Amino acid sequence: MYKTILSLLLIGLTGAAQARGDIEPLARTCNGCHGVGGVSASGPMPSIGGLPKDYLRQIMKQWKYGERSAITMDRILKGFSDDQIDDLAEYFSKQRWVPSPQAAPDAVLAKGKTAASANCRDCHGLTGNDPDVGVPRINGQWARYMELELMKYRSGEFKMTHRKMKQAARDMKPEDVSATARYYGAQSK
Amino acid sequence: MNSIDRRSFLKSLTAASGAAVLSIPSALASNPKARVVVVGGGFGGATVAKYLRQLDPGIDVTLIERETRYTSCPLSNEVLSDSRDIKTLQTGYERLARRGVKMVHAEVTGIDPVGKKVTVTDGTTFGYDALVVSPGVDFNYAAIKGLTQEISDTQLPHAWKAGAQTLLLKKQLAAMPDGGRFIIAVPKGPLRCPPGPYERAAQVAMYCKHHGKKKAKILILDSNDSFSKRPLFEEAWKALYGYGPTGMIEWVSGSSGGIVEEVDPTGMTCRTTFDEHKADVLNVIPPHHAGKIARTAGLTNSGAWCAVKPMDLESTAHKDVYVIGDSCVGGEVSTGNGFPKSAHMANSQAKVVAASLVAKFNALPAPVPVYTNTCYSVVDHDWGFSVVHLFRVENNQWVYIKEGSGISPVTIGTGKAAKPVPRIHRKIEAQYAAGWLNNLMADSFG
Ligand SMILES: Cc1cc2nc3c(=O)[nH]c(=O)nc-3n(C[C@H](O)[C@H](O)[C@H](O)COP(=O)(O)OP(=O)(O)OC[C@H]3O[C@@H](n4cnc5c(N)ncnc54)[C@H](O)[C@@H]3O)c2cc1C
Ligand code: HEC
Ligand code: HEC
Repeated sequence: MYKTILSLLLIGLTGAAQARGDIEPLARTCNGCHGVGGVSASGPMPSIGGLPKDYLRQIMKQWKYGERSAITMDRILKGFSDDQIDDLAEYFSKQRWVPSPQAAPDAVLAKGKTAASANCRDCHGLTGNDPDVGVPRINGQWARYMELELMKYRSGEFKMTHRKMKQAARDMKPEDVSATARYYGAQSK
Repeated sequence: MNSIDRRSFLKSLTAASGAAVLSIPSALASNPKARVVVVGGGFGGATVAKYLRQLDPGIDVTLIERETRYTSCPLSNEVLSDSRDIKTLQTGYERLARRGVKMVHAEVTGIDPVGKKVTVTDGTTFGYDALVVSPGVDFNYAAIKGLTQEISDTQLPHAWKAGAQTLLLKKQLAAMPDGGRFIIAVPKGPLRCPPGPYERAAQVAMYCKHHGKKKAKILILDSNDSFSKRPLFEEAWKALYGYGPTGMIEWVSGSSGGIVEEVDPTGMTCRTTFDEHKADVLNVIPPHHAGKIARTAGLTNSGAWCAVKPMDLESTAHKDVYVIGDSCVGGEVSTGNGFPKSAHMANSQAKVVAASLVAKFNALPAPVPVYTNTCYSVVDHDWGFSVVHLFRVENNQWVYIKEGSGISPVTIGTGKAAKPVPRIHRKIEAQYAAGWLNNLMADSFG
C-alpha cells in the first residue's frame, strides 16, 4: 500500500503515462520557475497549477510547433514529446489553483475594475475566477506576468493565436493595462 | 504503515500538490528507514535535503553547511552595478529546518566511505546510509603566479563565490576613476557559470555608463577561445556599451593573448603570454575545481571534478556517495555539451538524486532521470537573454537533447527573411530572469 503511493508520488505511474515514462520527475523540473505544484512565488513568472487542461495542452503545443511566440518556454518544450506535453497538461490541471493576491492602491484597483468590467468580464469573469471554456484563470495570477503577456498581445511583434483576446488587449487604453493586470492580480478568490 | 488510515492517505495523495506532500505519521519519522547526510547547503545540497523530506518524511536528513546564511551567486553581478541589494540574494535555512531537515552548521573535514560516516571540525561524526556531496567549487590560487587566497580576499577579488568578495569588488568599481581599466581574468573552462564573466562585463559597463565613468575600459582577458551565448553578448555589448578596441568592453581570446599567468597586486598589473596589462581593478577568477572536501575524500579520482553515474549521480569512486552541483561532471562531454555548472542544474540534479534515493530506500523501481537547465543573463536593466539545456539518459549514457536546448534567438526567420529579434524580447526576458531567481531560491531553500 505504502509502496504504491510512494511510486505514484515518485514517478506518477498511471495508465498510459506508465508506458511513456515518468511524469513526476518531468513535472518537478518546472518547479524551479513555476513553483512547487505550479504555484509561482514571483511576479514575473506565472502560476500554472490548476489551469484548464485544454488550455495548458494547447498553449504548450502551440509553442512546441512554433505557432505562437514565447521568450523562454518554446525552447524548453521543443525537447518534449507530444505525449509528455499531454501528461504535463493533465498533471498541472489536477493541481489546485492557488491565487497569490497582491495588494494595490484603491485608486489603481478602481481603475482596473472599471476597465475589466467593460472589456474583459465577458470572457474572464469580473474576478478572473469564472472564465469561459478555454480561458485561463487569472484571479490572483501575478500582475507583473499578466502585464508582460498584455505587452506581447499589444506589441505586434509576437505571434499570439487567440484573435479576440488579441483584439481586447489592443483595444485597451495604454493607461489601463497595468491597472487591469493589478486588479485581477489582487483577487484572492 | 498499518497505523495509517488507508482512505485518508489516499485522499492526501489526490490533493497532493507538485512534489506531493505526504503526511506520514510521526511514528515513522522517529524510526527512520534511512539516514542521508548532505554536505554543503548551496543550490544542490539544499534542494536535495528539501525534496528527500518532501517525498518521504520517513528518511532522516542531516544537512551540514559551514555558513548560517547563503548568498546566491546568480544575479550577484547585479550587485556590482548597484541595481540589486545583496540582501535580496541571501537566505537562511529556517524553512528547511521546519521541514524536518536536521541542520548542522560546521565544516565537514573528512568522509569515510568504508565506515560510512563524515566528520566535522570538532570531531563529531555522522553515520549515513547515503551521502550527498554538493560543496560547490574551490579555487586554485597557485595556478596564477603572485596570487594567494589572502590577496584575493583583500586586493584582487574573484567574487566567484558571492558574499564579501562581491562587496569588495563593488567598492573597488565605485572608487575607479573615469577612464579607469577594469580587468576580468577568466580561467580555462569548465567553469562555474559559463556565461557569468560576460554578464559581469556588461554589469560593470552599465555601472560605468550611469555613474560618470563613460571613458572606462572593461577588458576581458580570457583563457578560452569562445564563450557561452557569445552572439547575444556581442550584440548587446555593441548596442549598449561599445565593443572592441574602441568600445568600453573588449574581449581578448586565449589564443590571442588572453591567458593571465601572473599578477602583481602592488603594481596592479597582470601578465599574459604576450603582454603586460595595467589595471585599476583586477578581477582575477582563478581556475577552480570540485569543493575541497570532494578532493580530500578521493571523489575526484585525482582530477579536478567528480565523475558520477548518469542514472542517479552516484560517484564512480565510492558506493553510496552521490556528487551533485558544480563539483560533478556529466552530460555529453565528448561533444562539448557537458552539464553546465549552474544553480539551475544543481537544483535539477538534486531532484534526480532525491527521487532515486527515495525509490531505493523503498525498494521501488528507479525513476527515469531528466536533467534541465536554464541560465538567464542580464546585461542592462531591461535587456536579458537565456540558454536552455535538456539531457536525458539513454542506455546508461547522458544524451544532450538538441531540440530542447539553445540560446535565445538572435534573429527571427531564416535566410533573406531573417531579421534581428525585436528589442521587446530582451526587455521581457530581463524580467523573467528576476522571476526565475526568486522561484529557484524558493524551490531550493523554501
Ligand atoms: C557571478 C556568478 C553568477 C552566476 N549566475 C548564475 C545564474 O544566473 N544561473 C545559474 O543557474 N547559476 C549561476 N551561477 C552558478 C551557481 O552559483 C552555481 O552553479 C551553484 O551555486 C552550484 O551549486 P552547488 O550546490 O554546487 O554549490 P554552492 O551553491 O556553492 O554550495 C556549496 C555549499 O557548500 C558549502 N561547503 C563547501 N564545503 C563544505 C564543507 N567542507 N563543509 C560544510 N560546508 C561546505 C559552502 O559553504 C556552500 O554553501 C553563477 C555563479 C557566479 C559566480
Ligand atoms: C526557466 C524557467 C522556466 C521553466 C523551467 C519552465 N517554465 Fe513555463 N514559463 C516560463 C516563462 C518565462 C513563461 C512565460 C512565457 C514565455 O516563455 O514567454 C512560462 C509560461 C508557461 C505557461 C503558460 C502559463 C499561462 O498562464 O498561460 C505554461 C503552461 C508553462 N510555462 C508550463 C511549463 C511546464 C509544464 C514546465 C516544465 C516542463 C515549465 N513551464 C518550465 C518559464 C519557465
Ligand atoms: C473574447 C474573450 C476575451 C476577452 C474579451 C478578454 N480575454 Fe483575455 N484571454 C482570453 C483567452 C481565450 C485567453 C487565452 C488565450 C490563449 O489561448 O492564448 C486569454 C488570456 C489572457 C491573459 C493571459 C493569461 C495567462 O495565464 O497567460 C491575460 C493576462 C488576459 N487574457 C487578460 C485580459 C484582459 C485584461 C482583458 C480585458 C482587457 C481580456 N483578457 C479580455 C479571452 C478573452
